[in-house]
Amino acid sequence: MSEITRRHFFKLSAKMAALMGLGATALPKIAQALEQMAAGTAPILWLQGQSCSGCSVSFLDSDEPEPLQVLTRYISLKFHSSLSTATGKTAMRVLNDTIAAGKYFLVVEGAVPAAMPEACVVGHEPFTKQVVRAAQNAQAVIAVGACAAYGGLPAAENNPTGSMGVPDYLKKQGVQKPTILLPGCPAHPDWIIGTLVHALQFGLPNLDAKGRPQMFFNRSLHDQCQRFSDYERENFAKTFADEGCFFKLGCLGPITRADCNLRLWNGGTNTCIKAGAPCIGCASEDFGRKASFPFYRKNELQNKGNIVS
Amino acid sequence: MPETITIDPITRIEGHLAIRLEVEDNAVSGAFCAGEMFRGFETILKGRDPLDAQQITQRICGVCPVSHGTASVLAQDDAYGLKVPENGNLLRNLILGANYIQSHIIHFYHLAALDFVDIAAITQYSGTDPEMQQLKAWATSQLSSQTIHPAAPFLPRYEGDYISDNDINLGAIKHYLQALEMRRLAHKLGAVFAGKLPHAASIVPGGVTEKVTAHNIAACRSMLTKLKNFVDHVYVPDVLAVANAFPDYFELGKGCGNFMAYGAFPDAADPSHKLLPGGLLVDGQTAVFQADKITEDIKYSKYNSASGRHPNQGETAPQPDKKDAYSWLKAPRYDGQVVEVGPLARMLIAYTEGTNPDVKSIVDNTLTAIGRDASALVSVMGRHAARALECKIVADQCERWLSALKPGQSAFTDFEIPATGSGVGLTEAPRGALGHWLTLEDHKIASYQCVVPTTWNCSPRDDQDRPGPVEQALMGTSIADKKNPLEATRIVRSFDPCIACAVH
Repeated sequence: MSEITRRHFFKLSAKMAALMGLGATALPKIAQALEQMAAGTAPILWLQGQSCSGCSVSFLDSDEPEPLQVLTRYISLKFHSSLSTATGKTAMRVLNDTIAAGKYFLVVEGAVPAAMPEACVVGHEPFTKQVVRAAQNAQAVIAVGACAAYGGLPAAENNPTGSMGVPDYLKKQGVQKPTILLPGCPAHPDWIIGTLVHALQFGLPNLDAKGRPQMFFNRSLHDQCQRFSDYERENFAKTFADEGCFFKLGCLGPITRADCNLRLWNGGTNTCIKAGAPCIGCASEDFGRKASFPFYRKNELQNKGNIVS
Repeated sequence: MPETITIDPITRIEGHLAIRLEVEDNAVSGAFCAGEMFRGFETILKGRDPLDAQQITQRICGVCPVSHGTASVLAQDDAYGLKVPENGNLLRNLILGANYIQSHIIHFYHLAALDFVDIAAITQYSGTDPEMQQLKAWATSQLSSQTIHPAAPFLPRYEGDYISDNDINLGAIKHYLQALEMRRLAHKLGAVFAGKLPHAASIVPGGVTEKVTAHNIAACRSMLTKLKNFVDHVYVPDVLAVANAFPDYFELGKGCGNFMAYGAFPDAADPSHKLLPGGLLVDGQTAVFQADKITEDIKYSKYNSASGRHPNQGETAPQPDKKDAYSWLKAPRYDGQVVEVGPLARMLIAYTEGTNPDVKSIVDNTLTAIGRDASALVSVMGRHAARALECKIVADQCERWLSALKPGQSAFTDFEIPATGSGVGLTEAPRGALGHWLTLEDHKIASYQCVVPTTWNCSPRDDQDRPGPVEQALMGTSIADKKNPLEATRIVRSFDPCIACAVH
């Protein structure tokens, strides 16, 4: 590898270190991790179950490192349904060979239709079986997004497929693997890439009691909200797009743990509350789960004749 | 006896699709499109707060969430009787436009182009571009390593007649990398007013929650300039170069020949006028579109609800083991006809109706440049070309929408949700005509049905056993090498299928 490329490598590592809140002493180790990954020593197998591909799109929305770096330096992506040139039988061969070789990190996007295996089939194989055999040979499982982590909207009340998140499903099937949950709808690209790099070089990141990396999910959105002072001064928004705290409109920031209010989305461009809309709790365990717990309280307040003042 | 070729999973599309082909004398004599994933969004939506709908339905699809958010708020605007402020209409158009740009770019470069471009040519690169050198170094080290399936996800692939001119290949690979950057930038552009993408926060009934400021407009204009430059000088020329290298594909994958669009991007002051007009083309003739002529058949779909119903009366009762059913997609029909939707349908309808002079001139100029008449558009290459030209039209129009925004004026009007009512939201997703049908009872959703672009294009056979558009497009195609059925994947991918959308 040329000097220039190597210098470039260190530059990227510095960005990664900043991303993960690590000090300068971690730099050589990160560069080594990236090189190992590029050499294919730590392959990634990315499977989609009952998914919308939104977490894959979010992954590609990574600002720094940018997508080319992610694909050639940061991960050895053996299979991904939306990106792989391999298709049909060739795709299944890659998938099966990767599973047979083992030692990979399994990324799962999407939920598992536990009560209706026909509701997700890949290469003639129900996803309910595929995810189990892929998990059995993996070093660790990373459940990316609300659906893989908890079931998400496919597992909402009245769902017809008995859908559930990957950790719960694997537990039910008796598969024990180190598992990391990266909730969010979608998961933030920094959460995905930051977690993968950490897992490869430093081992699994510190997780909270529910399996989420503490570095991203240790505080509530409310604690880090740009409108927190409005909450303290009881300056509440009356409707969407208003100034003030969205608490009375049903903002789920107080019960949702994620760093989006500080990190922002799409390369630091914006985030939900900043854009004038309450947090809908997409990184929380109960995201969208119940009809009786809607995203917004606007309808309820209006019908009580109790528009907040 | 015909031989069967199964392509399962078909990758580089959104979602879980399997294609089964019956081949006799190397030509396709039967084609079956099977959507392989079901979640039940319409059932989940019943009984919910109607304001949940624009958030829940966006989660149908992570590639075109904005379209679902848009269809949902249009249905709710209709049900609540709302008039959206001009800034609100402009911002909805901009967010949807940004999503079109990212979706069309990702489709051509990252999903479809690798069926034509020889990605292995990167090992022959001898230039000085640092990103290309990096990719070459990576590919070379991968290929000389002991790792299984080196250079994944770019290899292995079907082997076949890729472009042989390495200058074209290397240019296209460079643009593949640049396009990763551009589609990301398009989402960033959308997020300025959407809050985040995918899955926008700001799209609500009554408008858009983000504020219009001079700085927001300037930020968008800066990103848009780069995107327009890419679309004009890279994307459109690349599509024409690939088309030039594969002239046969102006004859292949013709499909049903009927086209439908609901129209999208309403004029801010007069929403009845749209940038991309709605309409119908049946047997080459324009016809007036009437939403009440849409029905959904389910003879070959894995449901046991009533067949042939309008979405207003539609039901979604799954029966996974239903005899003879081979897809989770329903089979939507317009006035009983099989119709294709998408950028080709929109461009052909706008071109034929002649209401948008930009469409007329850009299509005519392109046809002159490639030396073909409009009939060549109904093909694999025609779909790619239509998508690229539409991307240009939308990107150019984004500039005008930005200029029309009024800083300081609201983009949102407040509203109350009635106890009962109904609404229809018709728009166009990047992949084609999208409709949401909503009824309310006791301030809650009583019914919600979505008929989605790929439901039309990848539909299975209907109650009269007529194949859907993609199935028809595959019929008669010669397959040179049954182990590497590139011809079939090129045809399927030209429709840009999205199965998460199609089944939902």
